[in-house]
Amino acid sequence: MTPNALCFGEEFPASGAACLVHVEEHGLTVTFAADTANAQPESVPFSNLTVSAGGIDHDHLVVKWKSVQGERTLYLKNPDVIRAFREAVPDHLDLPLAQVAERVRQVRHRRRLVWGIVGGAILSSVLGLWLGADLLVDIAVSRIPVEWEHKLGESAYRDFLSHQEVVKEGSGVVAVEEMTHRLTEQILNNPYNFQVTVVRSDIVNAFALPGGFVVVFTGLMKKAESGEEVAGVLSHELNHVLQRHGLERIVKNLGLLTVMAIVFGNQQGLVGVMKQLGVELLTLKFGREQETEADLTGLQLLQRAKIDPSGMIRFFERLSEKDEGRMEWLSTHPMSAARAERLKVELAALPKTLPEPFTFDWKQVQVSLRSQPVTVP
Amino acid sequence: MKSEILYPGAFPMVRVELAAGENIKAESGAMVACSPTIDIESKMEGGFLGALSRKFLTGEKFFFQTLRASRGPGEALLAPTVPGEIAILELDGVNEYMVQKDGFLAGADTILIESQMQSMSRGLLGGEGFFILKISGKGMLVLNSFGAIHKIELKPNQEYIVDNSHLVAWSTTTSYNIEKATSGWVASFTSGEGFVCRFRGPGLVYIQSRNPGSFGAWIRQFIPVSE
Ligand SMILES: [Zn+2]
Repeated sequence: MTPNALCFGEEFPASGAACLVHVEEHGLTVTFAADTANAQPESVPFSNLTVSAGGIDHDHLVVKWKSVQGERTLYLKNPDVIRAFREAVPDHLDLPLAQVAERVRQVRHRRRLVWGIVGGAILSSVLGLWLGADLLVDIAVSRIPVEWEHKLGESAYRDFLSHQEVVKEGSGVVAVEEMTHRLTEQILNNPYNFQVTVVRSDIVNAFALPGGFVVVFTGLMKKAESGEEVAGVLSHELNHVLQRHGLERIVKNLGLLTVMAIVFGNQQGLVGVMKQLGVELLTLKFGREQETEADLTGLQLLQRAKIDPSGMIRFFERLSEKDEGRMEWLSTHPMSAARAERLKVELAALPKTLPEPFTFDWKQVQVSLRSQPVTVP
Repeated sequence: MKSEILYPGAFPMVRVELAAGENIKAESGAMVACSPTIDIESKMEGGFLGALSRKFLTGEKFFFQTLRASRGPGEALLAPTVPGEIAILELDGVNEYMVQKDGFLAGADTILIESQMQSMSRGLLGGEGFFILKISGKGMLVLNSFGAIHKIELKPNQEYIVDNSHLVAWSTTTSYNIEKATSGWVASFTSGEGFVCRFRGPGLVYIQSRNPGSFGAWIRQFIPVSE
């Protein structure tokens, strides 16, 4: 006998007992291989069966019933048996069976799609050598809708904030809101709804997640000598978002295949990946080019918002000097004197504008940060 | 075809006896020694595209070797690259296994090896590469592991959670979800990635007692870094 199914039950091995399933007019007969201990052939009427899809790809037909020996679960994959089963079964099983068939069809379809992607990936690797992989990354990133980016960033953001003490009120929050407002109203066609949160921590840093979620630590605000310095960092972080640096990084890290998957339209998979990547996002390091880009576009944004850009440069300079707080910033922002120098050169080339000061008094903001009691969420 | 595990434990080998005309598929590089009656051919399993995609996407070797007893009966000794146990499974034509890309050592010519795409999120997060091998057909399948091989038997709907980097092979009658280890589990699972597979029976899950990635990281700390 050539078995065509596996039967599971209390007295069978965990790997299942190989068996031969035969579809009759009113039910199934199951014959076990000779070496299966005391397993008698069984006949089960259709009316006793329940069916579902199962297995690693959900492409097995799983048939269950209660026999005198106990619960029985049959895993069928043989297309001929499944076809015969479909033709013979009465109506009450037809709907679940149709669902199984649909599921099997979907799996096959997905596999075809996947092979399309593989073909595309091979093709594109050739193209990539020719055009440069960065172009492919750019194409892929440009295909990702902002809503996904938002979802992706949001889950990471929530995850992060749930472990942090968020500063919800006080002059520090008001000051950061004013900076954010001044900056974001200068962004043309802004697809992002920026959310900037102040988190109480001595970490001297700030970071931005894809989708416009920005965190500023109170440690950075305490270290800054003026609102303009914080606004400079904020402008830099906003531009990481606007230039989609986080997405570029993700796409680069996940590799060419994902890039191609996005380009070829299989975007479902990426959502799943993104959801679970949340934590990794928080440790995402930007590349040197991305930092430079965020610096330069950040500088321009400050200029448009009439916020004195020398604050940004000053802050960078101070961080590159010896300072106990510099480590955190340096861990995500490789700092060099050259970076501040480059900004100075860039600033000199920009038209001079008269900066408009902020409405808050920075010294008072810092005092409030120091004295603010620990708020219970 | 007869097979036997020699020196069971950390440094085993498999001896496979082939009758005249019989052949066996092995991971390229697995052959240690063989009788002069045996010819070694490199073959692209799954056709050119299959082989290419395996190579391209998992870094898996492009070729499997076929050892053929073309000039009379003989034997071959096979061994994996890494220290660890070997397990021999007998496929009966209905049992099928998914095998993590490094877990395949050898198989009878009558078994079918298919590179299978994992669903996008599974593959990327599972850390098992984008492709895993789906092994079906009838005949011998030889698995190798890093460390000892442990078999987990799952009854229908019974669940078990496995760190993904410890997976070797699992029955296709199982199903699984990849989950992010919650903060509570992170400490207890050795995977730095913090991803685990929640398996649901029925079927078998073979796991390895050591994590190659963690071992690599451990070794790396002893390698002097040149400035
Ligand atoms: Zn930055």
